Amino acid sequence: MKIAVVGKGGSGKTTTSAIVSRTLGRMGYPVVALDCDSNPNLGISLGVGDTETERLVSMRQALDEGNEEHAPGWDELLDRFGSDAPDGVRLAVVTRIENPEPG
Amino acid sequence: MVREVRDKLRVAFVGKGGSGKSAIAGTFARALARRGEPVLTIDSDPMPGLAFSLGLERSDTPLPEDLVVERKEGETGPRWRLRPGLSAIDVVEQYSLTGPDGVRFLQFGKLRGHSATMMKSQFAFMQVIDQLPTEMPWSVVGDLPGGTRQPFAGWGDYADVFLAVIEPMAKSMLAGRRLARLAARAEGPRTVLAVANKVRDEADASVVEQRTGLRVVGAVPFDESFAEAERQSAAPIDRAPDSLAVRAVESLVSQLIEERQR
Repeated sequence: MKIAVVGKGGSGKTTTSAIVSRTLGRMGYPVVALDCDSNPNLGISLGVGDTETERLVSMRQALDEGNEEHAPGWDELLDRFGSDAPDGVRLAVVTRIENPEPG
Repeated sequence: MVREVRDKLRVAFVGKGGSGKSAIAGTFARALARRGEPVLTIDSDPMPGLAFSLGLERSDTPLPEDLVVERKEGETGPRWRLRPGLSAIDVVEQYSLTGPDGVRFLQFGKLRGHSATMMKSQFAFMQVIDQLPTEMPWSVVGDLPGGTRQPFAGWGDYADVFLAVIEPMAKSMLAGRRLARLAARAEGPRTVLAVANKVRDEADASVVEQRTGLRVVGAVPFDESFAEAERQSAAPIDRAPDSLAVRAVESLVSQLIEERQR
């Protein structure tokens, strides 16, 4: 099953996604949670913490800046750009973080 | 050093989606206008929400499509430009709505309509901002797109102060930290300050300061009547004029005016 969560900023997309992911994980399903937000913070709601959330973002950013190679396949993507969250959920940041222009 | 003296405020609100930018920006603009300042508000969020908190009757007031014309073949510059003969001041005078307390309102972000309309609108916005003269009859209050993707777009050189609206919650403060990081870059905006929103006590405001590294210039308390005004799509300053949150935004206006005069 593939579920995408959308909505206005601040409406609770990230929190909902995290709870759905962990609930499915607790029911015994293997779950991959993909953060596709340009301001990625799903890690916080999943419970991996600030530092790990920022580490995943910088991994993703390194790819844009040419300091990391693209993963050739799904498994390697999850391995290199992912992190283990509680309840067996695997989190990966896959958003395209365009280098934000300050002005 | 001779400091540039300018009596108008140019303030742009940024922050995570849902942090309360529009509600605070609208209340800020109305409070500023009540002090006798002519105020122009600009909503450049493609998810526009400022009209409600200003107390305008209509929520979606896109600009007419013929505001911009396509670049002629052989010419250079942006693909869409303001109609020849139309200055930025003309756009404000002819196309802005006037709401309560005389606040002028221009909406550039466009939710409906296909993407070309949106793009034209954004081009028009960039040019109006670029071409507004330094000496202006209005103070300007901007409501910007949420999040951290091009958070200062179009406003970088224009706004004197960016106010990041930040709730004392992990995700909101993470967005605040990211905004602070972008602001610290050489080409970043000059001044980014934090407005702590929905705080329950003083400790909440200091947490925002510690976790974002931004100076907190105002703290707006969590306030049920302010939230209720938003639920009813009404301007908090009309529906809950005596609420602690509206009072806090009024103090924020005073604070910025005071800092400008220093």
